[in-house]
Amino acid sequence: MKIELNDVGYSYQTGHHALEHINLSFEGNQSVAIIGQNGAGKTTLAKQLNGILRPTQGTLKIDGIEISGRTTSEWSKRVGYVFQNPDDQLFLETVREEFAFGPRNIGMDEETIERCIAKVAALTGLQDKLDVHPADLSPTEKKFCGIGAVVMMDPDAVVFDEPTCGQDYAGDVRLHDLIAELKREGKMRIAISHDMKFVVANFDRVVVMCQGKVLVDGTPEEVFSQVDVLRKSYVTPPPITRVAQGVGLKETVFIVPQFVEKLEDACSAQNS
Amino acid sequence: MKTVVEVEHYSFIYQDAKVPAIKDVSFTVREGEFVCIVGANGAGKTTLCNALVGLIPHYFTGETEGSVRINGADTADASVADLSNYIGLVFQNPFNQLTYASGTVAEELAYGLGNRGVSRDEMRRRVKLVSQLMHIEDLLDRDPLELSGGQVQRVAFGSTFILEPNILVLDECTTQLDPLGASEIFDIVKQLNASGVTVIMVDHDMERVAQYADTVVVMDHGQISLTGTPREVFSASDINRYGIDTPDYVKLSKGLDRRGLGDGELAMTYEQTVAMAKEVIDR
Ligand SMILES: Nc1ncnc2c1ncn2[C@@H]1O[C@H](COP(=O)(O)OP(=O)(O)OP(=O)(O)O)[C@@H](O)[C@H]1O
Ligand SMILES: Nc1ncnc2c1ncn2[C@@H]1O[C@H](COP(=O)(O)OP(=O)(O)OP(=O)(O)O)[C@@H](O)[C@H]1O
Ligand SMILES: [Mg+2]
Ligand SMILES: [Mg+2]
Repeated sequence: MKIELNDVGYSYQTGHHALEHINLSFEGNQSVAIIGQNGAGKTTLAKQLNGILRPTQGTLKIDGIEISGRTTSEWSKRVGYVFQNPDDQLFLETVREEFAFGPRNIGMDEETIERCIAKVAALTGLQDKLDVHPADLSPTEKKFCGIGAVVMMDPDAVVFDEPTCGQDYAGDVRLHDLIAELKREGKMRIAISHDMKFVVANFDRVVVMCQGKVLVDGTPEEVFSQVDVLRKSYVTPPPITRVAQGVGLKETVFIVPQFVEKLEDACSAQNS
Repeated sequence: MKTVVEVEHYSFIYQDAKVPAIKDVSFTVREGEFVCIVGANGAGKTTLCNALVGLIPHYFTGETEGSVRINGADTADASVADLSNYIGLVFQNPFNQLTYASGTVAEELAYGLGNRGVSRDEMRRRVKLVSQLMHIEDLLDRDPLELSGGQVQRVAFGSTFILEPNILVLDECTTQLDPLGASEIFDIVKQLNASGVTVIMVDHDMERVAQYADTVVVMDHGQISLTGTPREVFSASDINRYGIDTPDYVKLSKGLDRRGLGDGELAMTYEQTVAMAKEVIDR
């Protein structure tokens, strides 16, 4: 699958220009993190990808076909969007109904739906909560319920909006496993996040947005080495990367063992 | 130093719940202390915050045992409005904190000042100050319903801040903020703390907890299972079993120790970690 945005702009009815001249393309089973300051337009961009919002300028194509020609529900089989605020997404009486709603709408048979519910409940850790009202879930369970409802549709791409928000350690691990499962299934993963540890641990490409435009687009190494550019969009590298930069290490490191190794190298270079 | 928060054998069970959300919790907070409450999802952190500011028992129904005292006053006897003169809460979910009764962000910020007999001029002064601190000056005339997630969280934070409480309770208050914005806000909180404001903060970001806390309180299944300085808490070998990760600073210290490159000390802050790494390079 290929998603192409060509000179996309978006203005809200208030006249506020949230996106301007966006040129991006996402392909195949890429994993992409979208980061950047509050109000940069990340959520607005994500909502274009599955047709909740339509560009007010430029074009958005999926596999070469323009979005204007399709309905939102048709679109949702291709690209699923998990809302930043689950209260905006969930509206049914039980988790089970939330999970079954989309598939039923596109005519999936009940047997398949049941099988998918079991699988998705396990992935999201909601096995024991299927008959609970979403309003009675904890904040992070709600988020996983929103994720589950999207994954149930088996879309080619899943777009997560701030998925780690409020998650504890176990929640972070569960999310990591879920994203790895989507990768195994060959799906495109796109996430909007302010959690830089999560970004570098799960994504191969990083798009930085600033004031409705794309500021930088590259690998995590390329992006997080440009500290001054990042500052423009109120982003800082993950903690351990900052420490490595603080001691003047040339390479960009993202995880502790990698940094320990570099320090060991530097130490033995000094002593030889 | 004066004790400003006293929680004694406090338990709370939500109406219709099978198990108590907090069980026999006791702790005290000194004036000017920076306390971080950590623990797994569902451990009872938000429930405890709600009890500190009097939302429990005044808004949530359920059964309580024991007592919570703020500046000596039992929260069961004081009204939430009275308590809000001393203690302010920034909600975990900012969308629940805003009143949405106001048409603009400026009105939303000033809302809590309305029934405090604050003069118009003083109101304007504080709205200006807080909106500058939160970087929302450009949003003052906007409708709170038409903001991004992080913008809503900034407004929510500002609406507590503007009341200038002596005790600030922050329940995961920067989860939707951009990284630099979050660290700017913590710098402000730290400055306030240095000038005597007591801070009680819930957070899942362990580097931040290690950086700022005087005292870390670990909650597990409604109880306090561990209390101590960041160094004491993050040295505990079984810390992961309470659903929390070790800060990367500590992981690095231990990693260096294992290679014989460390000095046996655990770094707790960014600055300490940089110094530790520099020492290795310069050795
Ligand atoms: N419904 C709306 N009506 C009018 N303007 C809006 C609406 N929703 C968002 N905006 C504005 O559009 C801009 C982009 O918002 P968006 O939600 O896309 O930002 P974001 O990058 O996702 O930010 P955050 O990190 O805070 O979630 C912001 O200035 C915001 O105030
Ligand atoms: N309004 C409520 N009614 C009934 N039970 C509740 C309510 N709010 C919370 N609980 C339950 O009380 C327990 C403690 O929840 P609490 O929200 O205090 O946890 P937390 O530590 O803040 O978790 P998180 O990290 O997810 O924010 C949980 O079992 C939760 O399901
Ligand atoms: Mg957003
Ligand atoms: Mg909570």
